[in-house]
Amino acid sequence: MTATADRKSSEGSQPVPAPVPPVTVVTSYGPWRTALGQLRRNRAAMASLVVFGVILLVCLLAPFYASTIAHTDPFASNVAGTTVIAGQTVPVLAPSTTGLGLGVTPIGPTWDPTHYFLGADGQGRDVMARLLYGGRNSLLIGFFAALLCCVLAGITGVLAGYFGGIVDGVLSRLLDVVWAFPVYLLAISLSVVLLTSGVRIGPIFIGAGSLWLPVLIIGIVYIPYVARPIRGQVLALKEKEFVAAAIGVGSSDLRIMRRDVVPNVAPTVVVFLPLMTALSMLTESALSFLSVGVQPPQASWGTIINDGLNLLYTRPAVTLAPGIAIALTAVALNLFGDGIREALDPRARLRGGP
Amino acid sequence: MTLSACTSSPTSPTATGTGASGQADAAAPATFQAQHKGGDLKLLAKSAGGTLDPQVNYTLQYWQLYQTLYDGLLAFKKVNGQQSFTVVPDLAQALPEVSNGGKTYTFTLRKGIKFSNGQDVTVTDVAASFKRIFTVSSPTAGSFYNGIVGAAACLKAPITCDLSKGVVVDKGSGTVVINLVAPDPELKYKLSVPHASILPAGSPPKDAGNKPIPTTGPYMIASYDPNTALTLVRNPSFTQWSHDAQPQAYSDTVTESFGLTVEAAVTAVENGQADWVFDPPPADRLDEIGTRYASQAHVNTLTAMWYLPMNHNLAPFDNLKARQAVNWAVDRNAVVKLYGGAKLAQPVCTFLPPGFPGHVDDCQYTADSGKTWAAPDLAKAKQLVQESGTAGMAVGIVTQDDEVNKSIGEYLQSLFTQLGWKATLKPISANIQFTYIQNTKNQVQISLSQWYQDYPAASDFLNVLTSCASFTPGSDSSINISGYCDKAHDAKMQETLVTARNDEPAANVQWAAVDKQTMSDAVVAPLFTPKLIDFVSKRVGNYQFSKQFYMQVSQIWTK
Amino acid sequence: MARFALTRFGAAIFVLLSISVLVFLIFFANPGVDPAARIAGRNADQATLAQVQAEFGLDQPLPIRYALMMKHLFVDRDLTSFVNRGVLVIPQIVQAVPVTLSLVLGAAVIWMVAGVAMGTLAAAWRGRAADPVIVLVGVVGVSIPVYWLGEVVNLVTQSRLHDSVFSWVPPLGYVPLTQDPASWALHLLFPWLTLAVLYAGIYARVLRSEMMTALDEDYVRTARAKGVSERRILITHALRCSLIPIVSLFGLDFGALVGGSALLTEVVFGLPGVGRLTYTALQNLDLPVILGTVLYAAFFVVLSNAVVDLVYAALDPRVRHV
Repeated sequence: MTATADRKSSEGSQPVPAPVPPVTVVTSYGPWRTALGQLRRNRAAMASLVVFGVILLVCLLAPFYASTIAHTDPFASNVAGTTVIAGQTVPVLAPSTTGLGLGVTPIGPTWDPTHYFLGADGQGRDVMARLLYGGRNSLLIGFFAALLCCVLAGITGVLAGYFGGIVDGVLSRLLDVVWAFPVYLLAISLSVVLLTSGVRIGPIFIGAGSLWLPVLIIGIVYIPYVARPIRGQVLALKEKEFVAAAIGVGSSDLRIMRRDVVPNVAPTVVVFLPLMTALSMLTESALSFLSVGVQPPQASWGTIINDGLNLLYTRPAVTLAPGIAIALTAVALNLFGDGIREALDPRARLRGGP
Repeated sequence: MTLSACTSSPTSPTATGTGASGQADAAAPATFQAQHKGGDLKLLAKSAGGTLDPQVNYTLQYWQLYQTLYDGLLAFKKVNGQQSFTVVPDLAQALPEVSNGGKTYTFTLRKGIKFSNGQDVTVTDVAASFKRIFTVSSPTAGSFYNGIVGAAACLKAPITCDLSKGVVVDKGSGTVVINLVAPDPELKYKLSVPHASILPAGSPPKDAGNKPIPTTGPYMIASYDPNTALTLVRNPSFTQWSHDAQPQAYSDTVTESFGLTVEAAVTAVENGQADWVFDPPPADRLDEIGTRYASQAHVNTLTAMWYLPMNHNLAPFDNLKARQAVNWAVDRNAVVKLYGGAKLAQPVCTFLPPGFPGHVDDCQYTADSGKTWAAPDLAKAKQLVQESGTAGMAVGIVTQDDEVNKSIGEYLQSLFTQLGWKATLKPISANIQFTYIQNTKNQVQISLSQWYQDYPAASDFLNVLTSCASFTPGSDSSINISGYCDKAHDAKMQETLVTARNDEPAANVQWAAVDKQTMSDAVVAPLFTPKLIDFVSKRVGNYQFSKQFYMQVSQIWTK
Repeated sequence: MARFALTRFGAAIFVLLSISVLVFLIFFANPGVDPAARIAGRNADQATLAQVQAEFGLDQPLPIRYALMMKHLFVDRDLTSFVNRGVLVIPQIVQAVPVTLSLVLGAAVIWMVAGVAMGTLAAAWRGRAADPVIVLVGVVGVSIPVYWLGEVVNLVTQSRLHDSVFSWVPPLGYVPLTQDPASWALHLLFPWLTLAVLYAGIYARVLRSEMMTALDEDYVRTARAKGVSERRILITHALRCSLIPIVSLFGLDFGALVGGSALLTEVVFGLPGVGRLTYTALQNLDLPVILGTVLYAAFFVVLSNAVVDLVYAALDPRVRHV
């Protein structure tokens, strides 16, 4: 909207057009920019992002912590080792000396960042260092599984919803089978199959300890969870006028999908990403029950929880720490995901203004 | 040769049954104490033990219960301590007469014993039971009972099995004569294990599965649901005929419930909600048990070993130096710690466990050149790895995925990495690991396994685990996991078996020599001899531990 | 409508068949899972091994083995376990069903009540301090691994505080409803709470977001203009419409849980339900039981999916033409 000033001069006979003031063009922000602004105003979401960022940063600093601060190798067993606490040299795995003298207990938290801050685990390794390294693996698996899931689910959902008919029928049945299939059986079977030397599909090689394994399992298993809502959305979109118009104009299917369907479906996928990351991390911890994915001596929060459950009655810190870490990360991701969803929801604008 | 001699080792046994707080368990009362009769015993186990059929089941879990249910011609004495390795007559009136150069055993059946369904136990049942060993495809049909005349044909074609020449019975005199192809001094033991139980002649010719077979012991099976519980009740037809062989039971009923996790089960026993847990307590409860519940814990040495079979037909362990390196490097004290501490396991350096017939203290892989293992020698091990030329090779360690096995595996992985190999750990489900490591198709280089004795004879360890006959490539049942096949070694063992027929002490000396040779060849890497903890509830009394079948379930009382 | 139902039914059968084939293939594609040696026993003779293989039909080619197993399962209904010989698979599952139903129904009641209450309150109090707190509580519930929570609950109620605060907590296990209703409920109390914690959070958040959408709809604005009380609006108008997606979500979750997806909860609390049966079968690699439990679980997942689809189709005719 342009504003022009048309000042009729009252002083002279010749109307002099007033200098045109600079024009300010106010256009509305695109949906992504609006969402970003909305998100920034969401205090809970921002706080969650900060928390997640801190966790991420600390985990990335794992090698630094292990080598420089704690001077420990978190992947080497230290069963027979000793350490100095309060001036005394004590064994890291201390045999019981009272009663019948049964059992061996790892040392508990020393609250000293230079060694065994959270104590030792069953192999005498530093729990804090492993926690940080484990975080890297958990976050890695969680994020890539979520990414894989969302991308594949997006493709599947769009294809199924858009084409309908046989394509939809086949894809929907495939999704049903994947959803109803027991993930634990898949996990156990795969762990046994890949024991010897891994799986080779053409140029791709997946070893038994490769992190691709849990990423693939978790990513694939949750595809139906994301694909169905997307498919539903695409079905609703198909009825809209702008799609009908595009068809009427003669656009190819690919073009319609690319320009009309996908941009409308993208926000849904974006919302799912943090939520699926949290869900993937939790599933990974359940799968580590079954020795799938992260192999010893590597760690993930799930494997540390699992190892720690064996120490629950004597050294609960070993299982509480990763449990709290997962919970905290999952909470942060969920709140952030909620924030994104609210920010991208057009109806939200009616609630509080841009 | 007498059969009643207790086979004790030339050296004094280093461990006998000692109970809680260091005091020895009270000796079994010689007679039944009627004032303690009654009550319901509640046992817990993580899961059921498989089939109920005593001639098929091969688990420690149910063999322990079969002691109260079934009887054979002979039995191990049901008492505490070293005497529990003694064989006494059970359904037979007396120990057998051995004749014909050790190839004929003559028994006379006791009269008046009935099955739990009221039927008398007759020689017909005895003959039928021996035949049944082959028709149900008992796991030990080929390894224990193949010496009976006619057994070889039975193994090939069980349906047409004819043991009439091998087991000859006479209804009139009640005699049972067993004819062997060759003398076998271990026959007395083989007749005392549950696979040789005497069952009614009409028992199903196939594995009975979950259908109970009538019993002769103080209990009979009332019900069995593998997801819930196994219930035993008093056998109405039972009257005690020999306190040593089959004593009267104290509790009126015994219920073994399945399904609780071991942590939950230990808590239940602590709370008095159950009386005993079959499974070993988890590592984090040991301290608690040893301190607050010390009076309820009983620790006993087992004749067993935890060891590392190394594949002799696959790199790197086809190289003697590599195998020796493993023996030098493993810190058995550390492994013992991971098992639960020095009070629960004893490091070993020989194939035969301490206290076992044929065992002699000797250690070829200890840093201080003593007779027992003291410390590893990591430097020497690394040197050996270099000399063997296998440094840098990939080595996969296959263990079970339960807590203790996996933690020992992690330690080994860390150790082997130090030695210079590229070691990875492969923990797999406990239910398949045992058969997995036996099959050569799976190309297992090294694994962690356990071996518990079937009966107290050195051959049960050495011959079974290291002979060529026990190595079958490509099969899930190839108990010589190392794949070690040495003709000279085999010949020596056969020679020793022959010696054992007439002169047991001399044979034991020879077994010691075989053991030493096995260790020089580093066929396996023995780790430790485990001890068993029995954790019972407060109300349990008269705990008796048989070295053969462990806690005597029928002898503990709750009143 | 009938055509739609028929096609869904056909699809369901297809899914179940595919799953059975997949389970079978995955099982036998594994090295080391051949059950013959495990069935024959430790250190079995080669002859014994061969006998067992023949008896169980394990030496037949794969398709024949599959056909035989399906025949035993569905036609003869006498499929027996590999591990517990002689024990039939179907009665095992049937016996375990009431336990899982007890667990799931009780937990469902708790989580629905809690979830709906929390979600409604959060929507009613949006903008105020209570809203993010309720959301946080819900999110934390979703973020805790359930087996970890169960073990910690056991640690506290059975062991550490068993003598003082929690002395009334009975030992772990299951007591049938018909035997003693009070004991049945007491045994299931902590399993219910543990399972409900996970789902209450999910439902609270979904309901909250749906209600907040509903509260901005035109008809609500009209009601407000007419002077209807806020509370009446909340419950009669907003809640009723928001419950539809909740109900569909409940249908899916309930279906999955009845099929045994609460297996870790059952294992930790010692409840002999379908979930634990599945878990034990997987650990034991007991193929017949695995097949039985997996098909049972898949059946319920597929059934609940179909029911929810049918309900939606009944409500919204556009969906039928998909």
